[in-house]
This record gives sequence, C-alpha cells and structure tokens, in this order.
Amino acid sequence: MRDVRPWTYAALFGTLWGAIEATLGTAVYLGKLPLRGTIMGLAGLLCLVCLRRLQPRPGVCLLAGVVAVFLKVFTLGGFYPGPIIGIAVQALAVEIAMTASSGRPIGAAVGGFISLATNPLQRLGMMWLVAGSEAVSSYLRLLQEATARVGLGGLRPVVIISAIVVATGLVGAAGGLWAWWVAGRVMRRLGERV
Amino acid sequence: MNRMAALMLAVATAVVLFGSPLWAVWSLVIAVAAAWYLDPPAVRAGLRVGVVFGVIFAAAVTAAVVAWAEGPERGLMVGGTVLLRLLVLTVAAAVLVRRVDAEALLRLTARLGFERLGLVLGLALNALPRIAEASGDVWTAYSMRSRGLVDRLRRLPGLGEVLLAHTARVAEEAAAAASLRGHSALTRPRIDLPLPVRMVIVTGPVDSGKTETVLALADRLHLEGVPLAGFVQIGERQSGRKVGFRLCDITSGEEAALAIFGERSDGDFGTRFRFLDEGFQLGREALARVQPGGVVIVDELGPVELRGAGHMPAVQRAVKVPGLAGAVVVVRRPLVPALLAALEASDAVVVDVERQGDDSVELILSALNVRR
Repeated sequence: MRDVRPWTYAALFGTLWGAIEATLGTAVYLGKLPLRGTIMGLAGLLCLVCLRRLQPRPGVCLLAGVVAVFLKVFTLGGFYPGPIIGIAVQALAVEIAMTASSGRPIGAAVGGFISLATNPLQRLGMMWLVAGSEAVSSYLRLLQEATARVGLGGLRPVVIISAIVVATGLVGAAGGLWAWWVAGRVMRRLGERV
Repeated sequence: MNRMAALMLAVATAVVLFGSPLWAVWSLVIAVAAAWYLDPPAVRAGLRVGVVFGVIFAAAVTAAVVAWAEGPERGLMVGGTVLLRLLVLTVAAAVLVRRVDAEALLRLTARLGFERLGLVLGLALNALPRIAEASGDVWTAYSMRSRGLVDRLRRLPGLGEVLLAHTARVAEEAAAAASLRGHSALTRPRIDLPLPVRMVIVTGPVDSGKTETVLALADRLHLEGVPLAGFVQIGERQSGRKVGFRLCDITSGEEAALAIFGERSDGDFGTRFRFLDEGFQLGREALARVQPGGVVIVDELGPVELRGAGHMPAVQRAVKVPGLAGAVVVVRRPLVPALLAALEASDAVVVDVERQGDDSVELILSALNVRR
C-alpha cells in the first residue's frame, strides 16, 4: 500500500492556502492595501515550506498549488488571472527550489526570493493584459515621479522595476527562512523530529 | 443551443481581453446575453453590489493614474476598458463556477486518467469548511489575546503555527480514514502486488485494550496450535502515572525494560522516552523465532519505528519470512497509513478495538484464517 499522506497533506495545505487567498486575499485586494502581494506571498510561502518540511516528497508543493488554484477559481469565484498566476508561480518556485536544495533552508530562501520577486513583474503583466500598455507606461511614469520626489530623479523605469524586484525578492528570502523556522516549531508541536 | 451560448461567452471573454477597446462594449453585451441564457442566477450572483463596487474602484484608480500621466481623455478610455474587461471576466467566472462541482470534476479527472487528483480536489472541497472554521476560531483567539500592534506582530508566528499544526492533524486523520476504509483510490497501488502475508492492524486510542486483545489472541492461537512469535509492550505505572514500558516475549514470557519516561528535552528519537538496548535486543530475539505457518504478533510500533529505527528492521525481516501465515501489528490510529507504507503491505485488515470491542479477537482470527 502506498503512503497516502503526501496526497492528503498536499490537499489540506492547499486548502488552507486557498482559504487564506479567498478570504484574506480577497479582502486585501478589494481594500487595495499596500504590499498586498507581499502579504499574500508570505502566507503562501508559510503553507508551502511547512508542507514540504512535513512531507519531504517532490511534487507536494505543486499539488498544493493546484488545490489552491482550484479553490480560488471554482469554489470561491476568483477568476482574475493575477492571483491565480501568482499562486501557480509561487508553488512552482518553491517546488523547484526545495527539490534542488534537497529540502534545506537555502531552498526555502531561494524559493521565497523567486516567488516574491516575480510579484512586481506579474503585476505589470496583468496591468498590460487588463488595462493595456498605456496603463503600464502611466504606472512607470508614476514610479519615476515618486522616486524623483525622494531625491532619486533620472532613474530609468527598468532600473526602478529591477530595484523593486530585488527588494521584494529579499523580503521573500527572509520570509522563506521565517517560514522554515515556523515550520520547525510546527514539527516540534506535532512531535516530529526536527 | 447551450453549446452555442457557452462558445459565445468564451469568445467574448477572449475578445474583451485581447481585442481593441471598442470591441469591449460589444463583448460585454454578448457575454452578458450568453451568460443570462445559460444561467440567470449565476449572472445575478456574479454581479452583486460588492463585486461591482470593487470593479468600479479598480477601474477608477487605473483611470486616475492614466489621466494624470496621459491626460483625462486617455484616462477615461483606459478606465472604461478596465471596467468592461473586469465585468466580462466576472460574468464568465460566475457561470463557470456554478457549472463545475465536485462530481463533475471527479468525472472529468477520471476520464483524463487523473483519478487521484480528482480525489485530492474532492478532499480539499470537503475539508474546506473544517479548515475555515478552525481558521476562524484561531483568529478569534489571536484577536482576543493580542493587545496592540506590537503584541499582534509578536504573536503572528504563533497564529501560523497553530493553524498549520491543525491542518497537519486533519491531513493525518484524512490519511488514516483513507486507509481504514480501504476503498479510496488514494490507497490503491498502481500495480497490484501479490499479498506477501495476511496483515492485521490492531488499532485504537490509548488504554482502549489493544494489548489485552493481542494477549487474548495469543492464547487462542496457542490453543489452536499455531506457532507464535513476537512481543507485547506493557506499560509500567507508578501512582497511576505511566513511567515506562517493559517488553515481554510472547512465547518465552521473558521480560526486559524497554523505555523510561523522561522530560521532553532529553528523550530519544524526539520522544519523551529514553529507550534501553536490552528491550530492543529481546524484541529482536522474539521476532527471530518466527516460523513458516506461524503468526507474528508485534505490540506495538510507534513513531520511532516509522522512522526506520527501534523494532522496525526486525519486524521487516519477520514479515518477509517465507510461508508466514500472518502478522498482527498494533499501532495508533494516526500512524496506520505510514505503517502500511513502511511495511510495503499491499492489503491489510484493520481492527479498531474501540469500535469492535469484544468481537475484536474473533475478527482477527477470521482475518488471519489460520484455525486448524
């Protein structure tokens, strides 16, 4: 008989992630809270890293991502591509990073970096898809104005976006390590050997 | 006609996303008409006040940004396009959501050869209310205990920890349920392997009578003349408190200390017990007496064995003895699926002594089918 726990763990952690996305996620997106992508990215990271530490099998993060997307799309009515793509990218990034690092903390950090660093790029992509290229160029101009106001005038949009990508990526890397630490506490709580 | 309406809705959704802004108005009209034809309640549910307000807000923010950068005319144009696109997406989603339910999904995944994925998604749907309820409870407790922003931030990891641990416990229960019922495709191996040995898992909560059941079983098998091997672990108590375990060889009656209860921090294998080699040694000797045609009794296996340590190597050797008639293994409920996987058992009968009560011994005997 095969061990069914990777399947049930992926289902349940994907459910938790999907539930968080559908409740907290919808609230922060509709409320247009600042750093909403980062907040939801960290919540997803916590679910994925903990899942991978409890069930160190390749593929569990991807399966949890499929479950979370399913719940977001079909159960709770979220059909906007942004969060769905975000969930899929995050699950893929953490899966690849954790598998490549053989489930070590560096995998959580790299997975966190990639999954959150793609947030700003994904936002630009969605802006282009939903609002068109004019909205993207307006947004970039807005960024240039904002950086000029804080004494960083003359920066090209690509430099500003790169800086944002690196900054959110670093937050993601720290978040990945934080998720690793929380996952360790969860394992101790469950009586697992850490 | 329904197919035509569904096709029109899909095309309108694609056009509104990738076509010119002028087409967006017509796409919205076509999409709403097709959606209304397919499922009027879905359209009403999709276009509720809160959703429409959120869409208008998003479009207004976009319009304001573009108006600031490109001028009011362009701002109005882009804001209008965003509004139409989001409305079409909302209508399409509302119809799609009501058309896809768990059963349709299971049928679809089974047809595509992804039956396990369908079961996983079904499990997710079933578990969602439980996870949502637990999340609500944890959030309420967190809100009531936290005082001020700093305290809230300090307690945030604890909030995540409790939620994740709860989720893991539900996942363990789901795995145990899948194995206990034995009818889920999740537990079915991809390739049917020959049954190596009749395996009976005896399970139940702490102090439910698992050890007494296997001792009664051993007596019955002895009377039947079935060769026996194995051991039971007997809890040692002082002033009503469990202080350790002794291991008793079923055939010789020889005993040895196996584990001593200690503080959580100084236990072995991440447990609260310190384990003694003499207990494991006697366990190995007891299991080595297994004979063809006989039954091996193992009471019990725990997290230590599931990590491959403790009695596990000797148990794995014992159940592979050619001609062995059966194996009876005691294990706690949450560990059943992991144990079955560790022993590579393709099939097993699970007897829960709490549920079966006095019938447990008879059930095990009939499952073993070794009476002479």
